Amino acid sequence: MQPRTSHPTLFIEKETWLHRIHPFNKLCYILFIGVSVYVLPGKWLTDSVFLLINLGILITAGIFKPSLTFLWKTMLPLILFMVPIHGTLYPENHTVLISFPWFNVYQEGLLFAFNTLLQLLIILIASLIFVFTIHPADLISTISQTAGSPTLGYLIGSPLLLLPAMRERIVAIQSAQRSRGLDTQGSFLKRCYGLLPLLIPLVLGSLIEIEQRSVALELRGFKSKQTKTFVRTVPDSMVQKRVRQLMLALTICIIGYRVVG
Amino acid sequence: MFQIEIHKLTYHYPGTDNASLKDVSLKIPKGEFLGIIGANNSGKSTFCCALSGIVPHLYHGRTQGSIKVDGTDISTMGIGQIARNVGMVMQDPKNQLSGFHYTVFEEIAFSLENQGMKRDEIIEQVKRVLLMTGLQNLAERSPYQLSGGQQQRLVFAAAIASEPSILVLDEPTTFLDPMGAKEVFKLLHRLNKQGVTIVIAEQRLELIAEYADRVIALDNGKVVLDGTPQETLTSPALEMIGLDWTRYTQVALLAEEKGLWQDGQPLSVSFFDTVQGMGEK
Repeated sequence: MQPRTSHPTLFIEKETWLHRIHPFNKLCYILFIGVSVYVLPGKWLTDSVFLLINLGILITAGIFKPSLTFLWKTMLPLILFMVPIHGTLYPENHTVLISFPWFNVYQEGLLFAFNTLLQLLIILIASLIFVFTIHPADLISTISQTAGSPTLGYLIGSPLLLLPAMRERIVAIQSAQRSRGLDTQGSFLKRCYGLLPLLIPLVLGSLIEIEQRSVALELRGFKSKQTKTFVRTVPDSMVQKRVRQLMLALTICIIGYRVVG
Repeated sequence: MFQIEIHKLTYHYPGTDNASLKDVSLKIPKGEFLGIIGANNSGKSTFCCALSGIVPHLYHGRTQGSIKVDGTDISTMGIGQIARNVGMVMQDPKNQLSGFHYTVFEEIAFSLENQGMKRDEIIEQVKRVLLMTGLQNLAERSPYQLSGGQQQRLVFAAAIASEPSILVLDEPTTFLDPMGAKEVFKLLHRLNKQGVTIVIAEQRLELIAEYADRVIALDNGKVVLDGTPQETLTSPALEMIGLDWTRYTQVALLAEEKGLWQDGQPLSVSFFDTVQGMGEK
């Protein structure tokens, strides 16, 4: 077993069955879930089943709590925008649920909004399962070894690295700007005003960092044409291979069903 | 035969009129420990970048003149090819980490993986480097769990893992405490004794004085001083290019002024030379 250590990524270090699953299986799962929730018939029932499966995975893998924080922060703005907009303005609205002097809230719009939110929630959870339980090192290593292209691996894995690094940088810049008297809290307007002194150093700093890192990678032969070897290997098994083949086959069947049906 | 031959090298960064390196010519024999000193913006970093092929391969711009390593012009070599011979350590360790490795062990192994070295050999080599750099107890830690000094040692370990014959270091001790800086120089000294050519840009003149065989001073992209540490670091021109003498040289000057310095004894740049210079007086 290879060591588990903390890293400025979204990866949560644990020893669970989910952490031991091959990265490609989790990628296939996202694909399968993404296609299924939008294509399979019986919207509410299908989506509820997928939601329960996802929640079960989160709980048994011990990542329910951190996921909850993430889900809450992501879903709340969407709920606040989608529910009132669709509840009042959805084109197929005709059954009035609540009536106000200037506008009505309709059942069809609300159902549409909640169903869309449910679908988004399911896909979001599937994505969280992926980012919380795969270390970018494993993902990049797997892609590099399978596709024979470290650049492709880095390209796919780098968003997982960049997001937390950017979050750290934002906190650092925010503290620096506050120490110089910039008010980054308070009213909406004040926050907007404080955004520019935050964004400029963030973007410039990130660009410089990316440039320096790419130089460092080049200097260490990252793009050399030599056939590479790998110290890190991600365990895989025949069962896992069969499972991802099954997920891919099911995904193709579901797409086929949609195209034909 | 010189290992590095720089001939009339002039370099402009893209979009600039002022050259960062001006007509630099230098010959560096194999196994030399060369110190590069100079004030900020004197061209030290650009010089290091030029030796490691970053200039002009990655930082494009206008280049005149040539740099030959082991007789081959580096402008005709790919950056990966240059990296096999020339290891590079820059100032900020964070930006030199690959960013996607789990452990210190894997981070060091990265260059060797890229060279296609066999897995068993990589493991052996990394273990050796870990011992050499004193990182053996941190091998299983994440590179991001290390302190700044430990990260710098890691970057250093990663650079020497592929056993380059030349090691170029651009102010590698900036983030280190005095003891950490001394450790780096001791390690460089050990490597140098094994035949590795060391080229180091550094602000800590006393360490340069102690370990370098030769010191060059850059000012505004030009080599203005070139000699032994004693010659360069006691030169009156040092002050004119924005650098100060080492405290040992200052003690020696004061002693000379007060008649406490032995006649004919050159100004010192180290503790030992200072004691010797004072002699019986």
